[in-house]
Amino acid sequence: MKTVIVRPERCVGCLQCRLACAVEHSQSKDLVAALGEAWRPVARIAVYPGGRHLSFPNKCRHCDPAPCEAVCIAGAIRRNPARGTTDIDPVRCINCGMCAMACLFGVLTFAPTPQAPERRAVALKCDHCPDRQAQGRPPACVEACKVGALNYGEPAAEMAAKGRFLAQAFFAASQGASESPVPDSIRLWRQLG
Amino acid sequence: MTYVIIGTSAAGLAGAETLRRLDPKARITLISDESHLPYSRPLLTYLLGRETTREKLFLRSLDYFREWGFETLLGTPVTRVDPGAHEVHLADGRALPYDRLLIASGAKPRLPPIPGLELSGVFTLRHLADVERLERHLAHARRVAVVGAGAVGLKAADALAHRGLAVDLLARGAQPLSKVLDQVSARLLMEAIARLGISLHLNSWPTAVVGNGGRVTAMALNDGRELPTDAVLFSVGVAPRVEFLAGTTLAAPEGIPVDEHLQTGDPDIFAAGDCVLPRHLLTGAPAAFHIWPAAVAQGEVAGANLAGAARRYDGILPMNSISLRGCRIITGGHLTPDTPEGEIFEELDATTGRFKRLVFDQGRLVGATLVGEVRHAGIYFRLIANRTPVKDLPVDPRSPHFHPGRLWARPLPGAA
Ligand SMILES: Cc1cc2nc3c(=O)[nH]c(=O)nc-3n(C[C@H](O)[C@H](O)[C@H](O)COP(=O)(O)OP(=O)(O)OC[C@H]3O[C@@H](n4cnc5c(N)ncnc54)[C@H](O)[C@@H]3O)c2cc1C
Repeated sequence: MKTVIVRPERCVGCLQCRLACAVEHSQSKDLVAALGEAWRPVARIAVYPGGRHLSFPNKCRHCDPAPCEAVCIAGAIRRNPARGTTDIDPVRCINCGMCAMACLFGVLTFAPTPQAPERRAVALKCDHCPDRQAQGRPPACVEACKVGALNYGEPAAEMAAKGRFLAQAFFAASQGASESPVPDSIRLWRQLG
Repeated sequence: MTYVIIGTSAAGLAGAETLRRLDPKARITLISDESHLPYSRPLLTYLLGRETTREKLFLRSLDYFREWGFETLLGTPVTRVDPGAHEVHLADGRALPYDRLLIASGAKPRLPPIPGLELSGVFTLRHLADVERLERHLAHARRVAVVGAGAVGLKAADALAHRGLAVDLLARGAQPLSKVLDQVSARLLMEAIARLGISLHLNSWPTAVVGNGGRVTAMALNDGRELPTDAVLFSVGVAPRVEFLAGTTLAAPEGIPVDEHLQTGDPDIFAAGDCVLPRHLLTGAPAAFHIWPAAVAQGEVAGANLAGAARRYDGILPMNSISLRGCRIITGGHLTPDTPEGEIFEELDATTGRFKRLVFDQGRLVGATLVGEVRHAGIYFRLIANRTPVKDLPVDPRSPHFHPGRLWARPLPGAA
């Protein structure tokens, strides 16, 4: 099952993912039009400073089993096995906050949404952009990420690739060569500070 | 094997489903005195406040019992359990044999020992039927008094005010939620209560419910005042539902005593949810704390152990989320440290009303309260539950930099 794979060591904190996420979850899915919508578009991904020029994109991991699902008193959080996501149904959500009490990654925001117009606020988080998925497109944050910090792929395949990469890097290092695991552009950017 | 489960709510269903997964052929009978499909008890205040609908209360489909292969006896009260004969006795006179029994009978609202409770207009809120009764009465009511400012009382008061009723909320102590909230959080909560138009009466409790022609007209209070009202909703705590265990040695007044496997004094009887007295996750002392997620977690352990899995229940970490209109609080763990070496950290942002309060003891985080911005609550509670020493953390929880970035972004060697 494809998922968003985060490589925090590549993130430069440009926040393009947040913008793309907010636009994708607006009614019009258009940046300019979204600014004028009655429901302020909300990004479901956050980017935290990680110290020493590192940034950390933080979003729902779609845990399975999900702690938020287990504590939801409204039956609003359900596993979607077909998509490999843990989804919140905004129509059922009653904004009680129990999910934030259970989430180990701190990814929930509470805000009004056009999907449940009669509610003051509901719990919002990453949904892997179902509308895009239906069109065979990657999630908005992945498409917006220009440095490869957010990728859409199969975790097993990514892990195997990373394992091969590390093995090669280790081998190269033991040969006396030095190999940086981050692209030059990012390494240079970090050196600016 | 023949299993019987008393109670078809959070704990009973979690137990039944876990048992079914482990023992696909088991004969499992679920009994409840309530006749509806299983529903979410915590949603009752939201139903009362018209923030959800009756059909959204039901968490399982119409076919649920058949799909899971559960036999059901709904609308059937259990009157007695006979551990010697391995039998459950029902109100209709039948006796049901079992090999193993799970008691998940929950709790019932307490009522204070004061005169006037028989009057029409006196309510408690625990069952769907209670909401239906309340609805009928509220059609002719303008003023409602809620007695008890705990989690349920607060949510009920919010719901009633949301419907446009005039609400008086009585707190026995000097603040609401006196058992779980510090003074600063309580003050922020009280400001929110005032904004909702709810009249909060501190240090107040009723000495009698007063009526006229069989209907509630007022409440006599401890300070001599008489508070006019059309209805009284008592939410002054709950007691475990164990009346059907009279004559056995299984029950105690604070809850059914259980060991770490949620086994009762009888090896073939397990218990889970609001009816048990579990241990506190941090102190190991018996601690009753009634929340839906704990009932589910206990039901899962007890259900597995019915099938012989010997799973342990680690204990309960008290925690709750108080979400009123315009106020969000998540609090859990200890309100104060256990030892004199303990320390309390507080940080209030007066302009936003955001507040963070952390309780440390013996080098570990043992309690956390967040007001306003609560999204990282689960991270604090995980540190509390894991007993992670603060010195092992990449960033101190007191620091403004305590967030996922500093916790999980690790500089790569040679990248800086
Ligand atoms: C109004 C309200 C709001 C709440 N809000 C929250 C919240 O926001 N968050 C939260 O975490 N918790 C909340 N709670 C607490 C939560 O609902 C309970 O902790 C949870 O329901 C406990 O589940 P349980 O399965 O142990 O017991 P219960 O849900 O009480 O279920 C026990 C069942 O057993 C049946 N039963 C009992 N005795 C017998 C008998 N002799 N024969 C047959 N059947 C019997 C009962 O009728 C009941 O159906 C709230 C509770 C109330 C009342």
